[in-house]
Amino acid sequence: MANSPVYLDHAATTPVREEVFEAMKPFYGPRFGNPSSTHRWGRDARAALDEARERVGRCLGARPDEICFTSGGTEADNLAILGAWRALKAKGRKAVVTTPIEHKAILGAVHQAAHEGAEERFLVMTADGVPDSASLDLLVDDDVAVCSMMWVNNEIGTIQPVPELAAKAKARGALVHTDAVQAFGKVPIDAQKQQFDFLTISGHKFGAPKGIGALFIRRGVHVEPLMHGGTQDRGRRPGTENVAAAVGLARAAELTLAECEAHCARIQKLRDRLETGILAKVPDAVIHGRGAPRAPHITNVSVPGTDSESLLMALDLRGIAASGGSACQSGSIEPSHVLSAIGVRPDLASAAVRMSLGVLSTDQCIDRVIEVFPALVAKARQLATAH
Amino acid sequence: MTKERVLVAMSGGVDSSVAAALLVEQGYDVVGATMKLFCHGEDVPDRPCCSLDSVNDARRVCEQLGIPHYVLNLESRFGHDVVDNFVDEYSRGRTPIPCVRCNTFTKFRDFLRKADAIDAQWIATGHYARVVTGELRRGVDENKDQTYFLWGIDRSVLSRMILPVGDLDKARTRARAHAMGLEVIAEKPESQEICFVPDGDYTRILEQRLPPDAPSLARGPIITSSGVVVGEHNGFARYTIGQRRGVPGGFGSPMYVIAIRPQQRAVVIGTRDELLGNGLIAGEVNWLTDPARLGDRVSVRVRHRAPLARAEIVRLDGDELEIALDEPISAITPGQSVVLYDGQRVLGGGFIESARQHRNSLPVLAA
Repeated sequence: MANSPVYLDHAATTPVREEVFEAMKPFYGPRFGNPSSTHRWGRDARAALDEARERVGRCLGARPDEICFTSGGTEADNLAILGAWRALKAKGRKAVVTTPIEHKAILGAVHQAAHEGAEERFLVMTADGVPDSASLDLLVDDDVAVCSMMWVNNEIGTIQPVPELAAKAKARGALVHTDAVQAFGKVPIDAQKQQFDFLTISGHKFGAPKGIGALFIRRGVHVEPLMHGGTQDRGRRPGTENVAAAVGLARAAELTLAECEAHCARIQKLRDRLETGILAKVPDAVIHGRGAPRAPHITNVSVPGTDSESLLMALDLRGIAASGGSACQSGSIEPSHVLSAIGVRPDLASAAVRMSLGVLSTDQCIDRVIEVFPALVAKARQLATAH
Repeated sequence: MTKERVLVAMSGGVDSSVAAALLVEQGYDVVGATMKLFCHGEDVPDRPCCSLDSVNDARRVCEQLGIPHYVLNLESRFGHDVVDNFVDEYSRGRTPIPCVRCNTFTKFRDFLRKADAIDAQWIATGHYARVVTGELRRGVDENKDQTYFLWGIDRSVLSRMILPVGDLDKARTRARAHAMGLEVIAEKPESQEICFVPDGDYTRILEQRLPPDAPSLARGPIITSSGVVVGEHNGFARYTIGQRRGVPGGFGSPMYVIAIRPQQRAVVIGTRDELLGNGLIAGEVNWLTDPARLGDRVSVRVRHRAPLARAEIVRLDGDELEIALDEPISAITPGQSVVLYDGQRVLGGGFIESARQHRNSLPVLAA
């Protein structure tokens, strides 16, 4: 009997939802106008864009003018870090604080800020995968322009203490950004109650297409635009808006929040069963970040004596899609900077396999992985001792 | 019946692409993989990181063949087994041959482990060589034959190797590529240079990896075989046996590098006659058949594409062997390989440790 393929890489991307696709279609057809045009086609597109902005805003507890559509998470992260740093450096705030477990979009942007004269400060991480509270007190001072901390880590799923950081940073007059790309729909987000100044979301992680994301920019906070040109989005993001994708993002965000509770409960149950099942057959498997609060959709497991590259290839050939650390542009798997930063031994870090659950995950998927993964692991270890 | 799985090492070039395509045609369950072996990072701005273009070509070919493709990161092992050794050898006044060590350690050991991990009984490459009844033989295309680089692999690996283009010549390989619609790679030029030496200038790699005061890159004397200092060089690692470039003139006859003496940082030059050797000692000897015996008559090759020479095995001592050549050969170079053949069969080989001077030639006074 052939087994159907098992997709366990929802943290990488998710399929576009049917409802989202339907909502977008008119904008690839009759409603094709440019929102900057003054004629009826333009007005129609503008109305759709404004409405999408309002709806995304509502999903985040934000006002429409606080939503800036971007090409995705990376652009939003760059706009927040570099836009804020460039706007504030003249005021003598020189430092940028972040964690060593951020997505490369943040680490790269912070690195660029450092190249432009910023002082990079990295919070110290605990072995559980969250920042050490003492290092927060130490590093967040009056020199800080912007702090950035991801809400949910994309590799190990740990939930970071963003509200705690935000409170401390605001008390020091620093701006606060959070990369909520993995957190949206998993962790309650409300810009009215929470103190962040910037927040990133990315559409394709929750059923919208690739190429659309948004940055929440709190009213009154100024950012230097990354690109120059037209006056779209108040000059913060020049370029003709991707109306269809913005509409798709709004629809996907609403659906995600509406189903959030049931969905999270469902995948958490599956994720827990997956972990229990693996641990039952591979008792020395290490599940990273298990000691900290975690989002329900990610598990990252290392089995001593195996390597992720071989395991992922073997899993894929059995129809199971998972992922390793971050892939370099050639597609080869690099050791995870996240696991190194939380003190995971190199041999364990190079054995890490991330499985992330979502809309495509079923009981059958989990049964299959519980059957195949331990078998592959046993085989790999047998080969390792043979050589 | 389940099809037998084969893992194909795909460089993105025409040979390995055709190899994969032929295996698909023959009904194997083919999995393609490109090894990431080194990364120039930002050192070489006109080349993308990690041989990205090669990886992309291999990926496109696999896509066209309908087979999975993976990128395998063997960078740290390759760095240790091949690149570090390459640098060490030059530091010791030898001329290394990294492709041999890459085949021995990277392609036919580390890569084979990846095949084990996915239950692939077979591994395949685009080498011009053949495996016939458990023995390695020269490729049908004598001009392209690559057995010179393959002598070091573990003999047991032969029973798991498939070399699909070994029966073809290069023109037929390209023709097959066109015939199978692999236009992406069919006319890609031959790569002649060492893969991790970006622009053919190996001294750049040495300069990057050795300390600035490394003896092999420091000034030293150029001397004749009788010990007369006739000039200065800028680092003996920049020289190889048989080289004429950088050698002073004015001797009446052309002079060549005939030896490198790292202890004295000396580059020794001599005439064409002094370059001749009639025997050699090799180390790290590996056999791909039952080991040869003392007194066996063999054909040998001491340099890629050099003509085969007749020789006799005059000493066998653990993993060291000595051979006597029927006719002297020019520029036998320590660090290069000697490969032993019986007809088309590869018997084994080793790394050249030293050349033996011809009995009848003039004695080397300062030896």
